[in-house]
Amino acid sequence: MNKNALTALAGIGVALAAGLVILWAQGYPALPSYAALFSYSLFSKFAIVSTLNKATPLILTGLSAAVGFGSNCVNLGQVGQFLIGAMAVSAFGIVCDLPAPVMIPLSIMAALAAGALWAGIAAWLRQRFNMDEFITTLMLNFIADYFTLYLISGPMWDRATYSPMTKMTGSGSWLPMWDGLSAAFVVACIAFVVTWVMWDRSKLGYEWRAMGQNSVFSRVGGCDNEANFTRAMLMSGALAGLAGGLMIMGGMQHRFVKGMGANYAWDGVMIAIVAANGMLPTGLYALFFAAIQTGAMGMELETAVPSEFALVLQAIIVLFVVASRESTRLLINRAAANLRARAAARTAHGGSHGGSRSSGKEGGERSASGH
Amino acid sequence: MHLVIEMLRSSVLAATPVLLAGLGGTYTYYANVFNIAMEGMMLIGAFTAVAGSYLAGSWVVGMFAGVAGGLAAALVFAVFAVYLKTDEFVTGTAINMLALGGTTYALRQMFRVKGAFMSPMIRAIPRVHIPLVGALPGIGPAVSGHPFLVYVTLALAILIEWHIYRTRYGLRLRAAGEDPRAVDSVGVSSDRIRAQAILISGALCGLAGVYLSLGYVTLFAENMSNGRGWIALAVIILTRGRPLGLLTMSLVFGFFDGLGLSLQSTRIPPQLTQMVPYIATIAALYLYSREKRGAPLGKVESDTVGKDPGM
Amino acid sequence: MDDHFIEMRSLIKVYPPDTLALDRVDLDIREGEIHSVIGENGAGKSTLMKVLYGMIPTSSGEISFRGRRVRYASPREAVAAGIGMVHQEFMLVPSYTIYENVILGAEPVGRLGALRNAEARRRVRSLIDRYGLNLNIDDRVRDTSVGAQQKVEILKLLYRDVDVLIMDEPTAVLTPQETGELFRRLRDLNAAGKTIIFISHKLDEVLELSDTITVMRRGRRVTTTENRGLGKADLARAMVGRDVVFSVEKPPARCGDVVFEARGLSYVDAGGRQRLDKVSLAVRRGEIVGIAGVEGNGQFELVQLVTGLAPVQSGQVKICGRDVARASVIERRKLMCYVPQDRKASGSAQKMSLTDNSIMTHHRLNQQLESGWRALLSPGKSRRFAQNLVDTFGVLAPSVDAPISSLSGGNQQKVVVGREFLFGADFVLLDQPTRGVDVGSVEFIQREIIRKRGSVGGSAGEGAGVPSAGCLLISADLDELFSLADRILVMHRGRIVADLAPPDTTREEVGEYMLGVREPQTIAPTGAGSGACAGAGACAGAGEGAPAR
Repeated sequence: MNKNALTALAGIGVALAAGLVILWAQGYPALPSYAALFSYSLFSKFAIVSTLNKATPLILTGLSAAVGFGSNCVNLGQVGQFLIGAMAVSAFGIVCDLPAPVMIPLSIMAALAAGALWAGIAAWLRQRFNMDEFITTLMLNFIADYFTLYLISGPMWDRATYSPMTKMTGSGSWLPMWDGLSAAFVVACIAFVVTWVMWDRSKLGYEWRAMGQNSVFSRVGGCDNEANFTRAMLMSGALAGLAGGLMIMGGMQHRFVKGMGANYAWDGVMIAIVAANGMLPTGLYALFFAAIQTGAMGMELETAVPSEFALVLQAIIVLFVVASRESTRLLINRAAANLRARAAARTAHGGSHGGSRSSGKEGGERSASGH
Repeated sequence: MHLVIEMLRSSVLAATPVLLAGLGGTYTYYANVFNIAMEGMMLIGAFTAVAGSYLAGSWVVGMFAGVAGGLAAALVFAVFAVYLKTDEFVTGTAINMLALGGTTYALRQMFRVKGAFMSPMIRAIPRVHIPLVGALPGIGPAVSGHPFLVYVTLALAILIEWHIYRTRYGLRLRAAGEDPRAVDSVGVSSDRIRAQAILISGALCGLAGVYLSLGYVTLFAENMSNGRGWIALAVIILTRGRPLGLLTMSLVFGFFDGLGLSLQSTRIPPQLTQMVPYIATIAALYLYSREKRGAPLGKVESDTVGKDPGM
Repeated sequence: MDDHFIEMRSLIKVYPPDTLALDRVDLDIREGEIHSVIGENGAGKSTLMKVLYGMIPTSSGEISFRGRRVRYASPREAVAAGIGMVHQEFMLVPSYTIYENVILGAEPVGRLGALRNAEARRRVRSLIDRYGLNLNIDDRVRDTSVGAQQKVEILKLLYRDVDVLIMDEPTAVLTPQETGELFRRLRDLNAAGKTIIFISHKLDEVLELSDTITVMRRGRRVTTTENRGLGKADLARAMVGRDVVFSVEKPPARCGDVVFEARGLSYVDAGGRQRLDKVSLAVRRGEIVGIAGVEGNGQFELVQLVTGLAPVQSGQVKICGRDVARASVIERRKLMCYVPQDRKASGSAQKMSLTDNSIMTHHRLNQQLESGWRALLSPGKSRRFAQNLVDTFGVLAPSVDAPISSLSGGNQQKVVVGREFLFGADFVLLDQPTRGVDVGSVEFIQREIIRKRGSVGGSAGEGAGVPSAGCLLISADLDELFSLADRILVMHRGRIVADLAPPDTTREEVGEYMLGVREPQTIAPTGAGSGACAGAGACAGAGEGAPAR
């Protein structure tokens, strides 16, 4: 665990350095830009609150992707599930206006259900017709995108505005704010804990993880892979849907606006990847990515680096962290082997046969099947 | 009649980028590389093509810049996935994100615009009018007058069919995909073949990007590849990587893409007609799955649920 | 003969991170001889040959060939110099034809890299004729037998004009008859001037075939001698470093009631091929029934049907008297232990911890792993369960939290076997339980299997507390079957063609049935209580809850 954390930190370090070089090569003041990046995301109360608000959807889309990938469901449909979740909450909030204690739980349920439904389509296509879920979820993203766009520029368009968006939802479904921190963050935290317990502690989570690592193993072991696949897809979709729903319930706008959600869904995919589908790392990387995105705004103000730089930086971090995870082990092992060989050779020159220890059974067996 | 010709014409135009990317993906398909990065390679190619064409004022430079952009993305993919042994899905996704973020960033950084960059200074690739055929009524406008990359792509499809099935490289490529150890054991590096396949796919996806930003239209817009790389991936799965099959399937998708455009003149809202190609992809996968199940000589799969954990 | 043909001097090879596979090995091979290198699994034989063949680099040491120092960076260089190797696992592309496999890597090309096949096809054909290999060059490799595939591997090397042929455990996958055929081919090649290096751990074969024998043990060369007047015992002692008992001790079988029964099982695969043809068999408590057969003759499908991984199309499967033909995998797992064939592919998840690997299936069946709430597992109890498994089965592991991939193959297999044996079920299905495992672990696992079999009513001796079970053992290793099984059933083309009892049969007889050379026996429908075996107590409540020990 510690070794993993160290490799990850090394990867992040290298990636940040690479980002520094990119900025420097383009003539930006690199170090001051980084200083702004972190001071606007971490070093004031307002900065931290902004980061936590930003982290809310990222935690959820990250969990969504992690549950999916970790169970060997290649759910790349977070974009669509997010939008459908948000749309469900908007529609529900526009149609019904009940008091908050009823409205908030119901809206959350609506978001979960809508996301799960959208993912469920892909799960059904996979189970029934054996269609690869990674393509169907991708296609469903575009379909959801155009479908919601159609709704907000047609049937659900708020005629009081000039760009495509829905009406505001009733205030019953609005989540409270405390000093700028939206209660949506708390909802995300609860979702995190629930997901984490399911993933790491429950029988179902164990079966998901086993299926993710080796589906034949779990099948032979008596797990119902078909049902577990569907369950994992639904869970994954529900989390992404919740991320979308909270965008409507939290924040300031309380309506479905064109282009809503930006890159949150894809960020979630990257977070899960870089966190190797672990629950705790997913939470941590979600916070880290949120900090980068929040800080990038400040960086644009201070040193005029376009805030889109955050996107570049994130992708570089993913590449380097993942690469360092895979390749450091190889390198370390190779170095150890060289040392060992040198030691063995030295014994050879000494001419003593008793001096060198053979590696015995465990090592020997591996050598026979060695590659 | 006019409508039919118009649809044929738009099918060809819309099929070309999917076919080009698909031809690139054929190589990685046979090398057994899960190339989810085609979308990103295409997007980068589209951007560098516009940048090259704009800065040099020449479509030739633009074209080479586009191919180079795709190649650069492929190089990153190859280094990480083949030599650093990073998971292909992970690397591919990261490259897609890098492409999306990088082009958006570069758009602001280089051209100071958000969303889309248009300029008369961008030189489009020339269109070719086929002398005799072009004059024919009906067929002429459908097959003549396209950007010349359309014709290059058609030629490439035939050439690649030959390359993959009739040459030494093709023999090794397919073998490396099926059993890399078999190739390594006769002294041909399977890693190298995989890396080459990725680079070829990068170049062709880059070219698809060139077509998008300098042929289909003459501008660069954020995320302008708009899922075509993924549709290409679906087409490859559907045709099991046969280049000539790709040609046909791409035309079918081009048709649906064009259908969406033609329907815009009707009263159906444009947002709904734009869904057509994506729905068509799902429908095609559905038909494919039906056919696969009916096939009498299908390979026995011992575990229908099990998928590569590597995915 | 040239005394400076192949010389290896103080070769050292360390596999990352610190496995010393070759420890200062010196070896000379003379031109034109058949030189066997023997040793146990893990003695370093294959590694030594892969080093010579340029497949893996040495850590240090020198090799010279025909008096010149060489260091091949890849097999391609070794082959160009005239040294070729046939690997234990074949390196063939299944969907390619024999011809395509032969030319791969040495393709005849014209302009633009286009293949020019005519001339090369003639050459491949003439090689087949010259060495009597009897192959059709347009057959797809996946449709050919294992024996034919091995010939394709040899053909690949002949096409490349090698002078030295390294054969790595070539007989491991062959029937006795195919082995005889292989030896004839190898002698022909030797007579035609090829030097042959033969790697094996089977003493009889080595004594039969070779001119010179080198024994390796734990990465070192122990001795090299001419094959004159050597006995099996001498070699065995040199191999293992101590006197070896050639068989596992086994009390006589005392059979009880039928714990497993299959009747008229047939299976047609998706390609329309009949994989199983009315297979009937029964396993009684207290016996080990072995299934012999060349791979691909229905054993795989039989296991799939018994475990519930594939649907039963026709016929019956009964475990402990319960008809399970329609039961789910987990329902069946309450009644049976199952050691799957391939620990990496289906017996474990390599990246998961030892704990996670040992609680599979138990997580559903053993309520003692729950933490208060039925849906949740207790991490502490799971770890203790794994620790108990590690202690009971002598698994060498750094910690139960370590990924199972950090264990050696033998220890991984002990985890898999241990996990399954901790179920109290009365029926045990073992699919190649010792394949690719080091000798020490093989011995341990085989002893455990015999313990599991126990003997009914065995109030005396060590079998006392262990309830006896019936075992169905599928193995490609005839030695294993002969030392463990009480009965051997032979499968050929999806049918059971013989029912033999080891003391009264020979490997050759079994081999002839495996190849379909002999007419199938007419086998009486096997049922309960036949012959000498007296019935005993009925099946226990099976599986749920308490582990066997």
